[in-house]
Order: sequence, then structure tokens, then C-alpha cells
Amino acid sequence: MSAGRRRWLWLIALAIAVAAFPPHWYPLPVRLMFTAWFGAADYRALPSSVDPRTLDPETFCPADPSGWRAPRTIEGVAIAESAACVADNPFAVAAFVKGTNNVTQQTLLASELTADAVVKGRDLDGDGDPDEIHIRLEVAELNGGSPVSSLPVTQYDIAPGIQPGLWVFAPKLVGMAVENFESQRARSALRLPSPVIRIEQGDRVRITLENTHYMPHTLHLHGADHGFVDVDGQGNDGVPITSEVPVMPGFSRTYELTPRHAGSMYYHCHVQPHVHVMMGLQGMFIVEENRPDNWLQTLNVGAGLVRASSRAVSAEFAREYDLHYQDFDKELGERIRRYNDPRLITQSMHRDYDITDATPDYFTLNGRSFPYTFRESLLVGQEDDLIKLRVVNGGMKGIALHTHGHKFSVTHRDGVALPEATVVPQDVVWIATSQRVDLALSLRNDGLHAYGPGIWPFHDHQPQGITNDGIGPGGNLSAIVYAQYLDENGWPRTRGVAWDNYFTAEYYRKEVPVWEAYAPGLFSEAGTDWWLLARLVGLALAIGAMVGLALTGLWTRAVGGKSP
Amino acid sequence: MRWRGLIAFAAMLAGTSFAQNHSDHDMAVDRAGVVMNENLSALPRGCDEISRDYQLTIRAGRAYARGVPGMTFAMSEHDVRVEPCSRIEVTFVNEDDVRHQWMVHGLPKYLYPAGMFHLEASGGQRVTGTFIVPGEDRSYLVHCDIAQHMEKGMRGQLVVGSGSGDLWGVTGVSDQFYRSSYWPRDTYLWVAVALLVGFLASVRLARG
Repeated sequence: MSAGRRRWLWLIALAIAVAAFPPHWYPLPVRLMFTAWFGAADYRALPSSVDPRTLDPETFCPADPSGWRAPRTIEGVAIAESAACVADNPFAVAAFVKGTNNVTQQTLLASELTADAVVKGRDLDGDGDPDEIHIRLEVAELNGGSPVSSLPVTQYDIAPGIQPGLWVFAPKLVGMAVENFESQRARSALRLPSPVIRIEQGDRVRITLENTHYMPHTLHLHGADHGFVDVDGQGNDGVPITSEVPVMPGFSRTYELTPRHAGSMYYHCHVQPHVHVMMGLQGMFIVEENRPDNWLQTLNVGAGLVRASSRAVSAEFAREYDLHYQDFDKELGERIRRYNDPRLITQSMHRDYDITDATPDYFTLNGRSFPYTFRESLLVGQEDDLIKLRVVNGGMKGIALHTHGHKFSVTHRDGVALPEATVVPQDVVWIATSQRVDLALSLRNDGLHAYGPGIWPFHDHQPQGITNDGIGPGGNLSAIVYAQYLDENGWPRTRGVAWDNYFTAEYYRKEVPVWEAYAPGLFSEAGTDWWLLARLVGLALAIGAMVGLALTGLWTRAVGGKSP
Repeated sequence: MRWRGLIAFAAMLAGTSFAQNHSDHDMAVDRAGVVMNENLSALPRGCDEISRDYQLTIRAGRAYARGVPGMTFAMSEHDVRVEPCSRIEVTFVNEDDVRHQWMVHGLPKYLYPAGMFHLEASGGQRVTGTFIVPGEDRSYLVHCDIAQHMEKGMRGQLVVGSGSGDLWGVTGVSDQFYRSSYWPRDTYLWVAVALLVGFLASVRLARG
């Protein structure tokens, strides 16, 4: 091609580029000049709204065919109604109260627990309840990796379509980790959070950690009265750098304590805790006051309502709930899925991952984020009820717990009763990482403690806490619901917007306009400007041609007459 | 999961409902563990008699993963081969302090609820159970279904007759379907240098 022809082509490309350049992007002085000469450009309608997608929402409230919600008596244990939609297995509750060694084979089978999951022994102080308690915990991985599947295995959804990689302490269950062979879903008792452990002041407690996981772990009893060493002189604090070598995969270790002080405490793994605690290896540890005939629900799977309350709590309160708040960085959890080899996982989690650069993405209350919190974490009551809430913040960020329609009182902090004079109604309490508060929530409609029946949200008032990876509503949002606002299945009779979109994975994948369901058109997905795209493609073609022509010109000049 | 998916699909076609819990199974539980769906005498369709009796001892635990890179738990035998229509008495010995399982899946559902034969041994315990395999050549998945135990080594196969091809990811038998990349840290540099060398060499050749 001759140099002259190349020059002409270059000029044509330049002309196309100038013509294709969107006028809205001209420099401001140019636009003002054109406006002075010609006035405004002609009207062009803005792109119309995209039709809403047809989504397939999940059932808000799954059926309860086994009747787990209803109040019942099993093996002489009175198990309170669990009014919310999804309830714990009452046979497991009975087995936790009586001890898995003290129930019939039938109850044990229905509980799905092993015979040694919670063993209750002698009544040492003769007050009518067992004081020798032996708990066995395993470690389970949820939403983990596999060498033969690209999907997560032992799946657990914290919210629609959200499956962060998790590690939990788990009660000792018989059988498979999944619901059945055809399913990849974790069975109901294998879940976040790790179970609440509930023992009595003065009990001789042994907790055996059976490490079923592929990494080393320990048990550290945060805030609970325990010796640095056990009776045999072995380390008992769970801290690898000061107390004992961690429990390796396939091994077990027994921790001992006889707590002298009652209160809401905490337990967690202390191996590389900046990672292991944040993966979910943490639970509430409640020491109840010693009372006669005080049969405790030793484990509370998934936290929430305590269906068989202690003597001390039931004497004062209508109901007791364990509320375990957590947050998760998705960039940590995904690492157990990226690799299968424990050496690679260890490198990725303990060397490549940097917690100092971390931000939490998911915020759970009792192992679920909104909207699933409304299935199982509602606080249900009636006017004049007094409800006890035990709260722990296991997340990396603090939480500002706020109740709508109510002012609660903080009665205990870190398991220690506060002086009477400081116990005042408030509607926000700051809970630092690993801190516990006990709250008295009064449903007395006096304009101070409560404003009357309704569906009153309670949530972390820090803004990120009420989102799922930045999409609201989400996070640890749940509600105080008065019984008359609950339907027969335990689902709240809400009066606001439709929730269908919240029960889809697409919504939390950020694919659905947030207000589309109730403001179609006004807030739908805006259409696209194909004319703008055509101009930009033309511009890019012209610029590409100009660069190509210029380069060939330079090449020809440099090589000179050498090319044929 | 390829194999599980196939089973689920086949069951869906057949319109069968899945067992939702353990109450549908014939289950014997004691301190040592669980034997589920034992079958001492019922013959599968197409079998006229027990062709042969096997007595196997399968051991399990972290010790069997020693020397298997990247695995945490394993069994003494991951490739069990038996004759069609044979009766197998398995003694499952758990050498760890934690639970382990030896589960066979995909057996005929008219004999084994949910198609399962399942042994579970508590830490340090042994359990024994017997089952009878069908007459056709087929490879069955054998695994421990405690979370991550199959993924971290306890994945085996029961090959009846000549089997139906090896399953993926069986420890010591077949490769992993999704294999991590164990490339060295400088791999990107090596690839970049190779690209450059290839480019320069071809330019040189084209001009020469």
C-alpha cells in the first residue's frame, strides 16, 4: 500500500471516529458553544424498563410433617412449644435433658444421637439432678470441597443460595453427614452455629473433643471457670502455645471443668484462632445457677429457643433464647473449596489469607441470615411476658444490637450480674467481639419497655450487619413477634412488601432490582442504549484502524526497501 | 458428584421416594456402632444361590493415610473385589478415636432400604455385618460419610465381578476428577520465557 493511500485511509478513519464520538461526551466548552449556536438536541426517549424476570421463590416456611414445633412430653421431659416455623428435634432435646445414656432406644434413634453423645452420671449433691456430665463434640465441615465434585459437599445455606465454607463443633450423631445418599444437604443437626453448651454451676463436666476434621483443633472455655491443667496435670486451656498440643485429626481429648460461677460464657477452638474461630468453631457456653431438680438441656442445636429451661430461668422468665451473632469473610470460607489437599488448604488459610485485610460479608444470627432468620430465630411472646436473651457476638466486628418497639435491660455482662442501679431500659447495646450480654426483654405495654403487639424487628444497627454481602434486607435481621401476628405455621403475618424476591438466590446475587416487586416500571431494571453501543463500536473500529495504519507506516519506513 | 448424580437421576426416573431419615432402615445400634440393613440370606433377583462366602476385615483410620500424600483418613483396602451373588461378612475395625463408617450405596432397594449397607464403628471399636451382592457386574461406591472423610481419603469401591469401570477418586486406585494444581511457584516465569523463546524462534525462522 502506498504511503499516500494509507494517509487517505487514516483521514477517513479519523472522520468516522469524530462522527461516532458521542456528543454527550464532548468537552463542556464545546457543548456550550454548540448550544449557543444550535440550542438543545432533539428529544430522544430514555430506554424503557426491562420486563421483570420470572423468579421461582423458595417456600417461605417449610412444612413441619414430624410435628417438631408442638409442645410435648418425651421421657418425662416437658418440651415447650417452638412457635417459629422451623423447630429443633424434640427427641434430641429430651435426650440432651435426660442424657443419651438414660433414654429408651426408641428416643435415642429418633434423636439421631450416639449413646455417648451426652452422658449424665451421678447426682453428687443429692438435689435431684445429675452432676456428672460428659459431652462429646465432633468437628464438621460444611460447604466443603471435593476431588470429584465442583459443587460444595455437606451443603448448608445461611440464606438463599449463600453457602460459605464453614467449620462447626457438632453433637455426636449416628450416620451420614447428609440428609440421605441422594442429597448433598447437611442433615438438620449439622449446622451453624456450634451447639450451645448448658451446664449447672458445680457440675463435674467433661467435654471430649473427637476431632473428625482434617485439621488440628482444641477447645478453649472462654470465661468459664476451668483449671489450667486437669486432674492428670494435662493442659486444659486449649491454647497450643501455652497449654497443650492440639487434637490432631482422628484423635480425641477430654477437657474438664467444675465451674464455681454461673453466667453466659463462650467456647471456641484456639488453634490459629484468627482463622478457626472465624470459620465457625465457636459456641455459647452457659453455666446455670445450681438449683434442686435442675435438669438442663445440655446442648441447644442451632441456638435459639431453649425448649427445656433451667429452674432459675423459668422461675423468672416466660422464655429463654440463646442468640449467637457471627460474621464471615467469604474470601476465607471459599478456600476450603478451592483445594482438597489439606496441605494446600492450610497454606491458603494460614499463610496466603491475611485477616488484617479482611472485611466480613455475611452476618448471621443463630447460623442464618435474613430471610432464613425469620424461619427459626423469631422471639415470640405475648403481652406482659418477660423474656431472657443470652447474646454473644462471635464476629470480628462489634454489633450495635437494637430492638424496635422495646427497650430491654442489660442484666449481665460477660456472665457477671450488673449492679441494680445500672440496669436501665435501653434500645441499643454495643457488644464487642466475644462479649456476652444477658438481656431482660419485657413485653409490658407501658410505652417504655414495649409499645404493644406487633412484628418488631431487632438487628445489628451497624449498617453492614443487615446485608448479605452488601444486599439488603439481609444479615442478622430478625423480629420480636407477638403470638397474634404469627400464623398457624409459625410464619409472621407481615403487612409490608412481598418477600418473594428475598427467597431467591438471584436477589442476593445482585441480579434483581430491589424495589421491582412493588414498584414495577418506576424502579425496574433500566433498558440499554444500543445506539450508544453502536457508536462506541464504530469509534473503537476507527481508532483501531488509525493505530494500525500508523504502525504499518512506521514499520515500512524503518525496514525501508528490504521487504519484498 | 458424578456417581451420586447418576443415582439420583435414575431414582428420579423410577419415581421412587428417598428415605428421609434412618427410621426406614433395619438398624442395629450398640456402643460399638451401627449395622444397618444387614442381609444374611435374602438373595438378589437373578441369583439362584450364594456363589461364595467372603470374610473381610477392613481397618480404618489416620494410620492408613500415612504415606498417602494429601490424605488424612484412609482404609486398609479401597478396592474390594468379589464374585457376583456372593455373601460378604465385613468386620470394620476403627483404629482412630473418632467415628468412621464403611458404607456401600446403590444396592437393590427391594433388599436394602435406600440401597444402602452401612457399618459405623465408634472410636476404637469394631463392628461386623453381612450382606449379599447382586449378580451383575458393577462397581459400587464404598465410603465414610462423616463430613470430609470421603474427600480426604476414605473413598473406595466394591467391584462385583468385572465391575463397571473404576470410580473416580478412589484412594490408590484412580485419579481425582478435580485435581489441584501443584505447580511450582515460578511456573508463570517458565511459561512466559517459553512463550518468548517460541515467538523469537519463529520470527527468526520466518525471516531466514
